Amino acid sequence: MEKITHTATLFAEPIYHIGSFPVTNALFTSWITVLILALVVFILRRQIKEIPKGLQNLVEIILEGALTLCDQITGNRQITNKVFPFAISIFFYILINNWLGIMPFGGLGLVETEHGKSAFIPLIRSGTADINTTFALALIAVLGANFFGIFTIGLWKTINKYFNFNAFSGIFTKIRKDPTVLAVAPISFFVGVLEFIAEFAKVASLTFRLFGNVFAGEVLLLSMSAIFAYLIPIPFLFLEIFVGFIQAFIFSTLILVYFTIASQDHGEHEEEHKHPEHKASLRSVT
Amino acid sequence: MESLITTFHIDWKIIIAQMLNFGVVFLVLYLFALKPLKKIMSAREEKITKGLSDAKTNAEIIMKTQQEYTEAINVAKAEAHELFKKGKSEALAKRTEMLAQAEQEVALMISKGKQSLEAEKAKIIADAKNDIVRLVIMATEKVLEDTTDSTVKKL
Repeated sequence: MEKITHTATLFAEPIYHIGSFPVTNALFTSWITVLILALVVFILRRQIKEIPKGLQNLVEIILEGALTLCDQITGNRQITNKVFPFAISIFFYILINNWLGIMPFGGLGLVETEHGKSAFIPLIRSGTADINTTFALALIAVLGANFFGIFTIGLWKTINKYFNFNAFSGIFTKIRKDPTVLAVAPISFFVGVLEFIAEFAKVASLTFRLFGNVFAGEVLLLSMSAIFAYLIPIPFLFLEIFVGFIQAFIFSTLILVYFTIASQDHGEHEEEHKHPEHKASLRSVT
Repeated sequence: MESLITTFHIDWKIIIAQMLNFGVVFLVLYLFALKPLKKIMSAREEKITKGLSDAKTNAEIIMKTQQEYTEAINVAKAEAHELFKKGKSEALAKRTEMLAQAEQEVALMISKGKQSLEAEKAKIIADAKNDIVRLVIMATEKVLEDTTDSTVKKL
């Protein structure tokens, strides 16, 4: 009897090719996610009434809670209103992707034979267990935050966050009043450059945090199922359901924080002294 | 970087596909769920806020009306009390006046009655006197007549 192996790979495996475009199992799962969300939205859209009932009630409760939470993070309803649709979309996209990966579709897949060895390729793999997905989402988040910053505080202020030309121009205007500006200006400029580098770090951290957690969860479940197929994996399944939710929550919360930070310019530092508790909470979340 | 790309099979085509996937999710959620829901929720919130403010205004109006009502009732009560007091005192005065008048009238009537009684008495006495005189005369005449007749006969 032919032995079929199944190992958890770091990358998503292609299950089909459209020309040169590889359709991986993670991408397939993401399409299912899109379909599920579209279906739910379609059902919800047909039910929307002034007096909520059933699904609309549930969605409204979730939205109200999420909006309150967003308000606590952004500290401003206007920013919440602008960022909320983006953050909640990312949340649901990641959540459904995470949960689809732990659904019991274990036997659903293809057997691929290569060099005389057969390997099982599952059809369903968490979209977020593929680094391409998490990287795409992280890129959207960080670029989105910067574009949001440009639209909110302007292009020049956004550029000045990273390349603090204002600090240098301040040397000529402030040197008489405050000679320490000679030392502070280069430091401010350097801090700006660090912030620019931090934007890449943000992409990397968002990408690898989500990918690492979800992939580790899948490996954990696979290992537990390999040790003992019954009962033992159940608590881990619940753990992964929780982890899937938490990871989606963390990702969307971080996006909210990035967007909020992007919508504030350096000139608002004085404001920080007026509302230190809100800024402190932002920093602790970051 | 190269090893990272080969280890994780990073493929820009899949990255773009995933971006598109998210774009579709975002558009669908935003246009067909979040936007209409937000609109309905805002309208409902507005309605509730308006209802609450209306209720507050109504409560204020009711309170004001109640105060006015209580004030009006108190004023009316005070006026009624005053009127009652005034009426009572007026009635008492009237009663006293009427009693005095009645007493006077009674006294007048009594005195008039007395006077008329005395006049009647005097008249009766006078009439009686007249009658007596007349009777005496008549008796005298009779006696005289009888006496005269017998004398004549004897004669």
